[in-house]
Amino acid sequence: MPIKKLLIANRGEIALRIHRACHEMGILTVAVHSTADSDAMHVRLADEAVCIGPPAAADSYLNMANIISAAEITHADAIHPGYGFLSENAQFAEIVESHGICWVGPKPEHIRIMGDKVEAKRTAAKLGLPLVPGSPGPIKTVAEARAIADEVGYPVIIKAASGGGGRGMKVVEDEDHLESAMMQAASEAKAAFGDDTVYLEKYLGDPRHIEFQIFGDGEGKAVHIGERDCSIQRRHQKVIEEAPSPVISAEQRARMGGIVAKAMADMHYRGAGTIEFLYENDEFYFIEMNTRLQVEHPVTELISDIDLVREQIRVAQGDGLSVTQDQVVLHGHAIECRINAEDPVTFTPSPGLVKNYVAPGGMHVRVDSGLYAGYRVPPYYDSMIGKLIVYGTTRDECIMRLKRALEEFVVEGMKTTVPLQQKIIRTDAFQRGDYTIKWLEQWLEQERE
Amino acid sequence: MSDHKDGHKMRVDGALLRELAELLATNDLTEIEVEDGDRKIKVRRDPAPVMAYAPAPQAAAPAAQAAAPADAPPAVPVDALKSPMVGTVFLSPEPGAGPFVSVGQSVKEGDTLMIIEAMKVMNPITAPKGGTIKQIMVSDAQPVEFDQPLIVIG
Repeated sequence: MPIKKLLIANRGEIALRIHRACHEMGILTVAVHSTADSDAMHVRLADEAVCIGPPAAADSYLNMANIISAAEITHADAIHPGYGFLSENAQFAEIVESHGICWVGPKPEHIRIMGDKVEAKRTAAKLGLPLVPGSPGPIKTVAEARAIADEVGYPVIIKAASGGGGRGMKVVEDEDHLESAMMQAASEAKAAFGDDTVYLEKYLGDPRHIEFQIFGDGEGKAVHIGERDCSIQRRHQKVIEEAPSPVISAEQRARMGGIVAKAMADMHYRGAGTIEFLYENDEFYFIEMNTRLQVEHPVTELISDIDLVREQIRVAQGDGLSVTQDQVVLHGHAIECRINAEDPVTFTPSPGLVKNYVAPGGMHVRVDSGLYAGYRVPPYYDSMIGKLIVYGTTRDECIMRLKRALEEFVVEGMKTTVPLQQKIIRTDAFQRGDYTIKWLEQWLEQERE
Repeated sequence: MSDHKDGHKMRVDGALLRELAELLATNDLTEIEVEDGDRKIKVRRDPAPVMAYAPAPQAAAPAAQAAAPADAPPAVPVDALKSPMVGTVFLSPEPGAGPFVSVGQSVKEGDTLMIIEAMKVMNPITAPKGGTIKQIMVSDAQPVEFDQPLIVIG
């Protein structure tokens, strides 16, 4: 059933991005917004807008009842959740579908499986994705730990089963330290989570973050659209993303891409998804799958000429995929810089009034942002105010263009991370493509000294 | 910002304009006019169309089944009771029945003023205080958004 009117359950640049795809497809849009976002760009451009709550996201952008009511009173026949907020909430997806509204996203059961750490790994293994080697389940004895560590090779990491945030985690360099590390991890886990169950994995010391974009039609067909390298991160937040990865060969791409596409086809996955891997010594290790559109999706769009939001809508309304795998042709190079309203040195958020805004332009330069002069960046939400995405036929050309585009970027009235991005892309490490997920934090540390 | 007339020489003082614009912003004003001899500069910005009754033309009441809420009343009374949710307003307990309340009627705290239907659930909207109904700002079966003024009790 063709979608006629789509409700965008998100805010900021991604709401605008979805609006654009809809209008290019002749679909009307409904913006929902908090009281803090009444003058946001996507609200102004949407065909209709409904205020759904106060500034706090928990009461507005996460308010399922008000969002469903907004769809009902506007007679929207589809909901696109964007990223973040309710995009990976299986319950919301179910509610949307049970109201007879088209959910522009994966099947709720797939959101649920991939949202559960343990279940996601089990499913990935079953689908043939390579996992970080380690104990199949909890380890109970030191002898058991020793046997597995010998098999996967040191260093290894001992992790609390119910852990998170780095607690209950111990890196073990060699066999001599295994026993004491295991005891420590277990007692830390007991203290922090009330559960001393631990498991053991191979420790990846300095990997890259490489993820594959996939698309499924929900009925057994799936394609991959290459990888993105998102290793430039600070506190697990991606800062720069590029496609293709500077270190992946065409053979590796075809091999790994083939594996993930087959996995998604077998799963009967529907819509856009991203399979994230750690990559070290030419090996991929599955970490998780995001069952939604990613912030960094534009770099894939620029090297594939596939509009991923349009593709999501196509699949949701039952038109299937627009391409087969052999029609996915990747070319050139694209880099995205996230622009945040933050101090470029201390990273303190810097919301406020945009006094002047001049976005860079010119050939192969794209800016996805809801900013405009006179707009007030509200203090309640994410600090990302825009994304600069640049294309070049080669990586070098792309970096040169990125340099000049960043020079043109003007946001007055607040601090932004533009100066930081300018410095990062001038480093030798970035220019050579020689960086890992630890590189940015180490470099920032050096800069401070 | 500056009116542009053909064949008219006008020297624009950028620094002054910027200064005025900044004044505007920092003081949260919507308009500043400066006259100096025959030269006149007016700087204005659109007030943030936030809490306005109909935020922006494109943000007008959705679905618009019922006639749009009268001809935009001049301003929203500050003490108007606002909608706590998104839904559809019903002014009477059932179709064909008389309204819960009408203008001029006095109400007690806790009296039902209207119902907002959201996700098939009827949510009574009750009077937060006693008083007289001064104004009803929505019509029967009208869709409402969060924070939309509903009724004024004086």
